[in-house]
Amino acid sequence: MWKEIGDREMGKIRPNSFSSWIKSNRISNLQLSNNKDIVSPHRGSINSLQVDLTEGRYLLSGASDASAAVYDVQRATNYEGNGLIAKHKCLFSVDKQHGKGHKYAISSAIWYPVDTGLFVTGSYDHYIKVWDTNTTQVVMNFKMPGKVYRTAMSPLATSHMLIAAGTEDVQVRLCDIASGAFAHTLSGHRDGVMTVEWSTSSEWVLITGGCDGAIRFWDIRRAGCFLVLDQSQSQLGRRPPVLARSAANKVSVSKSLSAGQNSLGKPRAPQKKYANGHGMKQLTIGRMPAKSSARQRLHPGMLSIQDRATAHYGAVTGLKVTDDGMYLLSAGSDSRIKLWDLESGYNTLVNFEMVRLQTSKAIQLAISQETAQVFVPCMTVVKAFDIWSGKMSLAFRGHYESVNCCWFSSQDQELYTGGNDRQILVWSPCEPMTDDTDTAHTKDQDNWSD
Amino acid sequence: MSVWNYVVTAHKPTNVTHSCVGNFTSHQELNLIVAKCTRIEISLLTQQGLQPMLDVPIYGRIATLELFRPHGEMQDFLFIATERYKFCVLQWDAETSELITRAMGDVSDRIGRPTDNGQIGIIDPDCRLIGLHLYDGLFKVIPFDNKGQLKEAFNIRLEELQVLDIKFLYGCLKPTIVVLYQDNKDARHVKTYEVALKEKDFVEGPWSQNNLDNGADLLIPVPPPLCGVLIIGEETIVYCSANTFKAIPIKPSITKAYGRVDADGSRYLLGDHAGLLHLLVITHEKEKVTGLKIELLGETSIASTISYLDNAFVFIGSSYGDSQLIKLNLQPDAKGSFVEVLDTYVNLGPIVDFCVVDLERQGQGQVVTCSGAYKDGSLRIVRNGIGINEQASVELQGMKGMWSLRSSTDDPFDTFLVVSFISETRILAMNLEDELEETEIDGFNSQVQTLFCHDAVYNQLVQVTSSSVRLVSSISRELRDEWNAPSGYSINVATANATQILLATGGGHLVYLEINDGKLTEVKHVQLEYEISCLDINPIGENPNSSQLAAVGMWTDISVRIFSLPHLNLITKEQLGGEIIPRSVLLCTFEGVRISYLLCALGDGHLLNFQLNLSNGELTDRKKIGQLSFIVSNKKLLYSNVNLKEVGHMCPFNSAAFPDSLAIAKEGELTIGTIDDIQKLHIRTIPLGEHARRICHQEQSRTFAICSLKNQSSADESEMHLIRLIDDQTFDFISTYPLDTFEYGCSILSCSFSDDTNVYYCVGTAYVLPEENEPTKGRILVFVVEDGKLQLIAEKETKGAVYTLNAFNGKLLAAINQKIQLYKWMLREDGTREFQSECGHHGHILALYVQTRGDFIVVGDLMKSISLLIYKHEEGAIEERARDYNANWMSAVEILDDDIYLGAENNFNLFTVRKNSEGTTDEERGRLEVVGEYHLGEFVNRFRHGSLVMRSPDSDVGQIPTVIFGTVNGVIGVVASLPHEQYIFLEKLQSSLRKVIKGVGGLSHEQWRSFNNEKRTAEAKIFLDGDLIESFLDLSRGKMEEISKAVNVSVEELSKRVEELTRLH
Repeated sequence: MWKEIGDREMGKIRPNSFSSWIKSNRISNLQLSNNKDIVSPHRGSINSLQVDLTEGRYLLSGASDASAAVYDVQRATNYEGNGLIAKHKCLFSVDKQHGKGHKYAISSAIWYPVDTGLFVTGSYDHYIKVWDTNTTQVVMNFKMPGKVYRTAMSPLATSHMLIAAGTEDVQVRLCDIASGAFAHTLSGHRDGVMTVEWSTSSEWVLITGGCDGAIRFWDIRRAGCFLVLDQSQSQLGRRPPVLARSAANKVSVSKSLSAGQNSLGKPRAPQKKYANGHGMKQLTIGRMPAKSSARQRLHPGMLSIQDRATAHYGAVTGLKVTDDGMYLLSAGSDSRIKLWDLESGYNTLVNFEMVRLQTSKAIQLAISQETAQVFVPCMTVVKAFDIWSGKMSLAFRGHYESVNCCWFSSQDQELYTGGNDRQILVWSPCEPMTDDTDTAHTKDQDNWSD
Repeated sequence: MSVWNYVVTAHKPTNVTHSCVGNFTSHQELNLIVAKCTRIEISLLTQQGLQPMLDVPIYGRIATLELFRPHGEMQDFLFIATERYKFCVLQWDAETSELITRAMGDVSDRIGRPTDNGQIGIIDPDCRLIGLHLYDGLFKVIPFDNKGQLKEAFNIRLEELQVLDIKFLYGCLKPTIVVLYQDNKDARHVKTYEVALKEKDFVEGPWSQNNLDNGADLLIPVPPPLCGVLIIGEETIVYCSANTFKAIPIKPSITKAYGRVDADGSRYLLGDHAGLLHLLVITHEKEKVTGLKIELLGETSIASTISYLDNAFVFIGSSYGDSQLIKLNLQPDAKGSFVEVLDTYVNLGPIVDFCVVDLERQGQGQVVTCSGAYKDGSLRIVRNGIGINEQASVELQGMKGMWSLRSSTDDPFDTFLVVSFISETRILAMNLEDELEETEIDGFNSQVQTLFCHDAVYNQLVQVTSSSVRLVSSISRELRDEWNAPSGYSINVATANATQILLATGGGHLVYLEINDGKLTEVKHVQLEYEISCLDINPIGENPNSSQLAAVGMWTDISVRIFSLPHLNLITKEQLGGEIIPRSVLLCTFEGVRISYLLCALGDGHLLNFQLNLSNGELTDRKKIGQLSFIVSNKKLLYSNVNLKEVGHMCPFNSAAFPDSLAIAKEGELTIGTIDDIQKLHIRTIPLGEHARRICHQEQSRTFAICSLKNQSSADESEMHLIRLIDDQTFDFISTYPLDTFEYGCSILSCSFSDDTNVYYCVGTAYVLPEENEPTKGRILVFVVEDGKLQLIAEKETKGAVYTLNAFNGKLLAAINQKIQLYKWMLREDGTREFQSECGHHGHILALYVQTRGDFIVVGDLMKSISLLIYKHEEGAIEERARDYNANWMSAVEILDDDIYLGAENNFNLFTVRKNSEGTTDEERGRLEVVGEYHLGEFVNRFRHGSLVMRSPDSDVGQIPTVIFGTVNGVIGVVASLPHEQYIFLEKLQSSLRKVIKGVGGLSHEQWRSFNNEKRTAEAKIFLDGDLIESFLDLSRGKMEEISKAVNVSVEELSKRVEELTRLH
């Protein structure tokens, strides 16, 4: 650490490389925090966790006992264990006792992205409620046609205040906080919608994952969906994907001769043929049209073949877009995790190690962009996978029952997880104990054990 | 201090980040263009060397600097891209000698993550497109149309995740890039892509090469006829093209920069991390590459850029040392080096630490920086002052006095220089060749010491010795008259002007003589009660040849008296007070001012100044200034230091060969020099040959102590970490304490503790073990300086790196990893002392930077911005009072006043936070409110209170508190806290200047100074850009008037107020 600080001081490493290096180092050392506790007031499974996007300070949780609570993750409410363990009790919670609160399980609790003055909860009682944080009063109610599975607001939006809601119903609804009414309904899914996620590159693009196994892309300014992800459509063969590259190395070496002539004036066709010969004929040919025409042709009526495409066998239970807006991760009840290239809509075919995922419930994934890791609740364990290789890098064991949700705070490099055991656990970079007395004790013990 | 801050650069960036060579200013002229992070300098290559043409600020940190020549153009254009995603294309306008903007734009994207390895900007050799790699996974293309105009940019997906370098290949029908990248198994490969402009996509390129050297980091495209690319690794260099592959092993080294020697691309200069310069030769038979050869040329500064100019002249740009202009000789010198350094260009960067000291005790701060890195590490002493440019010098020992004389009264120039020694007087004169040579004036008594000399009317000269006053003809050089001191008395002090002589003999006798043609007349003689120490009759009245007043300094009663002439009546007597006698008095009037002054220099080097009323001789407005050497006038009296030390005597010497010069007698040397007409920073370099990381000064022992690290040898990685004691006058190492293996010096402090009169150096260290991410062990070492040696008095082991040390309430406050720890300095029974930990505070990620004031502790965290702690005496505990909840990654903090704290962070921003003691809720009181934000564009390593200029009490700016900062690019800057009205006025001026002064390349000043990090961008607030405001003084009259109109203040008033500000640095 001191070395890197020195390198930053003398300009040998860029400040942003310095911070990335430290972040990834810390993230690779995540473990159950020994000095930070979040005291969960919930008496039911925790279904949703989110830290506010403006200050990175307030954690919002939603639970099956119809309660939601807010915690200050930066400032402890009190300390225990000789001042070394910071306890974060909730600043407030709302539950069934609250006159206007939800009646059944809260499945989704999210912050209003612009400030922490509002938050939104969605519940199995068919309601979406908008709360004023300061007064803890409900300021708006949206009656949905069925159980609400997931709500989402665009972190980028400057020109709309829409809550996208996935429910038991086949239609995705957009609830407008500005007007208090439904702005749109998006039709296309053939079953309930487990998960909704806004794009991180355009405030108009919404991604939804349904129990029908489909992942649909919507431009909310236009009618209809403009893209349905197809798990069988990959970009293999055009430019080898990262992992396939080592396999493709042999190819490119042997290719260099013929391709070298290519640069001397031959048209590009032979090369394409070569790539086609690689066994991906239709896909490669289909690529350009897919990209350019997809957006123009797909709505209002998409080709029926494309419209039937599926991303997972079974329900899509979790969606997460990478912060850079270039990739989408999806989890399905088929116990698969898939990485999608957002520009082309291709399945990257990254092979995530086999896991067992909850099938009945939506799960909330989290991503650490710095280290290219995705955190996935896999029954009682949360696992971190490398996005590019699909290899598991870390496993977080601490919950006694299934984990439903996780949230990664990039600012603090902390992971928060919530599960059916009603606990919210904090996973933070391990810090060596610097207390003098502690080590004195261990020394003594060493002496005794002789 | 206050929240209203003014940020100004005292020393511009000097770290050379980019350089290129081309025909930019004209198709016949060869230019070197150098980027120093936020500035570009254009110079012309001439027979005499590099001649500067233009030095301009860029509103951005330069990420890419490239010259290119579009089709059909006669001269090169300059492409600049900044780190904040702006780009521009510049062309030279020969008529106005200015830069014109051909194109500009923004290349930022909503998607993508900024690259960690730095931005890449490249231009197709056939000028078909510009390629940019700014975000991971994206390659941005800005195509040129047929007319050389830029078209709309688009992105191409680049699947290589960790891109290390991208270059365009030469000689390809389609624009083709070669990409050096690392895969997720850390293996490195290159591959090529053709850019299909129509399809806006890549097509697999002609070749690729896998599994290169693990240290491969740099690609060099080879121009036709050979084409292909060189891949520079740490152990091998590879030449690669579609059908050739050649590799040679090299000595392990990290190549930092390259420069192409020949247009055909067969030879390259490579500069490595140790400053060694190699020549890489591609051997070839016609167009077929047969092999590679590498040869060591010699050593230079550690290069960050290399530009081959012409005729074996090479510019070496450096980030870690001074940049150089070198010549490559055909034959090696005695040491076997082919490199000859012709010129060096000072670089203070990286300033990793500095201290502000007043070594000469003159009341003016000077900055001593830890500059440079590795073998180019140095200390630099930076001070503001007037420079004396040496014109000539002669070795002379034992000079006691010096006067210049003219050969005739009407001669505008001085001819003679009379130099007095203890038992003789010698006369130097300008001969016909304009050289100083010894001559004689027959009428002078050269066997004794001269007390005074002066020109007199009627072509006469006056020499005063201890026994007589001699009047000599300056033409015949013969004695015309002599006045002898009364027997038993010798003349002690004397002064004269063209017509009058005033002298004092022992016993307090004051004698006044007048000079006539060939005759000295004693006019008046008085006896005073005490001995006289100094005299002056400099004519300051109407008559330039004679004075109405005489100033006399006295021994014993320590007074200055004013007498009227010729009657020697006492007019005024001013008691100086104190015990220091006046050594020299001077009556003077400065140009353009009606006010006359009496200056009086005291024996301890202080200077008093009085305003003198000419009509009644009254002295008013007494002021005392620190020790000094020089005085400047600019309507106000200003004082400034000169860059000379140990001056014994001096006199003006205005000869034809050395107009407006000074003759200066130093120990053993007579120098003739001219003086600068403005104050500027003067830099003295103390090369260390090792990298100083921390510095502090100890007044009591008159020493500096530094933590430094020394590389054993350039090839070896092993380092030695040392604590060095340095004499603060000679800057010699006087003592060294080596640290343990793996032990690094992290912090150093000079302090004393309660109940102990000694002054100590405390050093905080860390054991940096290769297997540990974060140090888990360190030490605090306490040294005392005894007989010029560092003596270790005590040591305390810590559980982590000691990042900072502060003296705090007579105790020691240390920041150790996550913790702030307070130690008491306890006396043990055996009389030795030790640290005992009193209390601590947890809860930081890493407490890297700490400042204290009273009981308050301000902590700059690795990534959690600023927090404020308070030490509670009664409880003996440290508690958090408030913090800033933003996620700023800090690089320095400073306390401006009780409530305002200044921070610098990772994204090159400055910000201030305010303690909110009056908040109504705990939440409000517990939050440090962000009040000011500003994008400095520089990475600040250290803030220190202090000033680079003498705080003269006459000046309004003397009252403005300032903080000095030092940065990676070698910038020394000043943050000044302005009074609110002045801030409001300057803010208005700044916004008018923004409209009138257009940024180079059309870049916006407002955007440049806006606070910017990964999360947000916000307009600068409560910080003003002094560099912009002070550029008002460089504007044309017309533009000044335009601004004057906009702010409704006269041009004169504006100039005056801005000039005033320039005296802050």
